[in-house]
Amino acid sequence: MNLQGVGLGLRSVHYSHILRETPPVPWFEALSDNYLGGGLPLHHLTLIRQTYPITLHGVGLSLGSADPLNWDYLHRLKALATRIEPVYVSDHLAWVSSGGHYFNDLAPLPYNEPVLNYVADRIQQVQEFLGRRILIENLSPYLQFSGNDYSEWQFLAALAQQADCDLLLDINNVFVNASNHGFNPMEYLAAMPVDRVKEIHLAGYEQQGSFLFDTHGRPVQSGVWSLYQEALERFGAVPTLIEWDTNIPCFDDLQNEARKAETYRCQLQPQAN
Amino acid sequence: MPTPAPSELTSLQTLFYAAISQAADPASLAALEPMLHCSGSLSVKEGFAAYRGSVKGKLIRCLEDIYPVCQRLVGDNFFGGLTEQFIMTYASVSPDLGDYGAELPAFIKTFTPAEALPYLADVAQLEWHWHRVFNAPDEKAFDMQALSQVAAEQWESLVFQLPRSSVLLRSIYPVHRIWEANQDGVTDSVPVDLDQGGANLFIWRDGVETRIEMPGDGEWRLLEGFAARTTFGQLCADLDQGLASVDASVLLPVFVKRGWVKSFVLGEG
Repeated sequence: MNLQGVGLGLRSVHYSHILRETPPVPWFEALSDNYLGGGLPLHHLTLIRQTYPITLHGVGLSLGSADPLNWDYLHRLKALATRIEPVYVSDHLAWVSSGGHYFNDLAPLPYNEPVLNYVADRIQQVQEFLGRRILIENLSPYLQFSGNDYSEWQFLAALAQQADCDLLLDINNVFVNASNHGFNPMEYLAAMPVDRVKEIHLAGYEQQGSFLFDTHGRPVQSGVWSLYQEALERFGAVPTLIEWDTNIPCFDDLQNEARKAETYRCQLQPQAN
Repeated sequence: MPTPAPSELTSLQTLFYAAISQAADPASLAALEPMLHCSGSLSVKEGFAAYRGSVKGKLIRCLEDIYPVCQRLVGDNFFGGLTEQFIMTYASVSPDLGDYGAELPAFIKTFTPAEALPYLADVAQLEWHWHRVFNAPDEKAFDMQALSQVAAEQWESLVFQLPRSSVLLRSIYPVHRIWEANQDGVTDSVPVDLDQGGANLFIWRDGVETRIEMPGDGEWRLLEGFAARTTFGQLCADLDQGLASVDASVLLPVFVKRGWVKSFVLGEG
């Protein structure tokens, strides 16, 4: 199944609206970590899946952690994927656990050869177990390690090649990182392998003192829209998701944000063809 | 063979975790700082603060989602102080944030500012159980055909099992009334009389609906027996001695029909 158009992040406050109104949304992205149990959340997701394509997006794989892979988590993720049949399964270029302790947030990695080999191997193990390619998303790190052999974009491109995985490119994260860490975001986009970028994320950031913080709690900012336009020109009309995790607005506001993204995509169509 | 983690990665992540955890170990912070650099608008200090704030925010929001009644009972400021102390003490040990916060009811019992609210820990316990039952994996229906094939002489050795996610909760306070009166949308509830007596509660899920039941004395005894994995024969004998009015063979099919008993195994004969 191919994804088309601009999807929305599935959030529990909108379940009843979606099931009642079946709004014209091409696809939804579910946070896989929220559906690894059962009960009402999984029941709702299963019902929504009957009408819409679904992608699964998680933070729990902890692909960059020095801890062993969490096979209990992986078994639960595989069971969920078997039930929901998502178009894509994705997680992040990050680690979320150390010594069995989880901080449930996405921390950065040092970008060097041993870490590249280690993370690529773990991605391959996950892909083999799940029986599918996964998408790896760039994050918005607030700290960088000294002595890196690679820039983040070089590392991500090399990782995708070595692990033979696909990429989920978060344009807001690229923009936030470029601002916080002082690089040209176009350089980032130019390094991404076109054929591996299967999905794009858009979200809102907030200014916190001297830096930008990726809160997913407000509309997409103008600089991110501009960068999105550049990304579309490089990667084509890649399926795009509006992510909104805090201060979640009414469903109509989310749809308006999706329509705005669709406008950018439509402007691209003559060039893409 | 999986590639082992580079040793520098292990030590770096150990330091990083200690530095951004809520205890913010200063030695780890000092050891990490030379390994980090800034090339934009963000300082290392701000970077650590961003992570610490983000992690803390996630854990607190998680506790607010699981314990809304407790928060409502004590107010935002009190709950904020309670959860701040809690996350300093308890780390998350699961990729699923829904697993975080199990120790809060016990923590409340040791939290000095909550001494004047002796029922609060039990309300928290009810909320935790409700959350876990709500999110538990689905269960198969009772296999009546398999039960019909059990030989009569084996019945005494059968161990009937409650839904795996179900919980029996006993409190000396009317926690169910406190819980009901503090649900979203309830505006006209009658004040709860703490002296009205305690409650024996059975929390379980009927399909996708999470339910809190108040079983009668006999039903409670039988539920306790099933939860303790007592064989049916022993259970009948115990009930005969204790509560003559309870007939397990009558209640069992009622429980099965309600969905309170989900399966059985053959125990020690």
